[in-house]
Amino acid sequence: MASASRDIDRVSAYSQSLDEAVEEVFSLMMGLHCIPVSECPIEERETISAVIGLAGAMSGTCVLRSGEQVALCMAENLIGIEMPGLSDTVKDAVGEICNMVTGAWKSKQLPLASGCMLSTPTVVTGTHYHLHTQKPEFRIERYYRFDARSFGVALVCESMQ
Amino acid sequence: MSDISALIVDDSSVMRKIVERALRQAGLSLSEVFEAANGVEALEVLRRKRVDLILSDINMPNMDGFELLHQLREQNLAPNVPVVLITTESSEDHVRNAIAAGAQGYIRKPFTAEQVKDRVLPLLGAIEVERRE
Repeated sequence: MASASRDIDRVSAYSQSLDEAVEEVFSLMMGLHCIPVSECPIEERETISAVIGLAGAMSGTCVLRSGEQVALCMAENLIGIEMPGLSDTVKDAVGEICNMVTGAWKSKQLPLASGCMLSTPTVVTGTHYHLHTQKPEFRIERYYRFDARSFGVALVCESMQ
Repeated sequence: MSDISALIVDDSSVMRKIVERALRQAGLSLSEVFEAANGVEALEVLRRKRVDLILSDINMPNMDGFELLHQLREQNLAPNVPVVLITTESSEDHVRNAIAAGAQGYIRKPFTAEQVKDRVLPLLGAIEVERRE
């Protein structure tokens, strides 16, 4: 019972850190106010997912997923120029945003900060796809909104040392 | 401060542009900006060009930022050029390792232009003194 309660506390603390990490990245790098929301209606047909792998003290992934137009908007705010479409530059930008969010989240967890390495970003685009993982130890899924646009971030822990 | 030339090393072309913009926002007058996608490309640039400042990511394919620092020392390339690492890795261990490997500064992503200014300008002050001598 006490162990289950500790797990819930830990996951809750991780969720809060993820919110802080997202807010930090959006405010410092894009000058945007980004807040957590309870749901994320991704209505666009084409979606983009940036994936960062974690290895070491924690094995897992951090995935940022959004619709195409939201990705364009994030990239435009990050780079400061208008984007004509879902180009390699937009994919690069979304990958970097996910990388910074994961790094900022990790830096808030003392045991993980130095004991866990991050991969370079992998970016997937398409329609009707799912990213599969083995049965995770825990999964945190949070949704965020900036300028009336929504996206999701999922932190999936496969194992924790 | 006189114009400086900088080498920006990052596997993300977006991040290279952002770092360049942050340097300009920090008030630096850049005469030339060279870009490299990893340590191997950075070494190639440094064999051909003289730069005043190197800003490098750590986590890159082919050759990472730590190996780049090692190779700079090993090959005696850009011996007096300050190297600042810019990375999402921000633990005390990483900062210690970076300094031990020869980096003069460390900036954590996400960053502001003000943070870039605070870390980079003091290093360029040393360059100005060297140039005058």
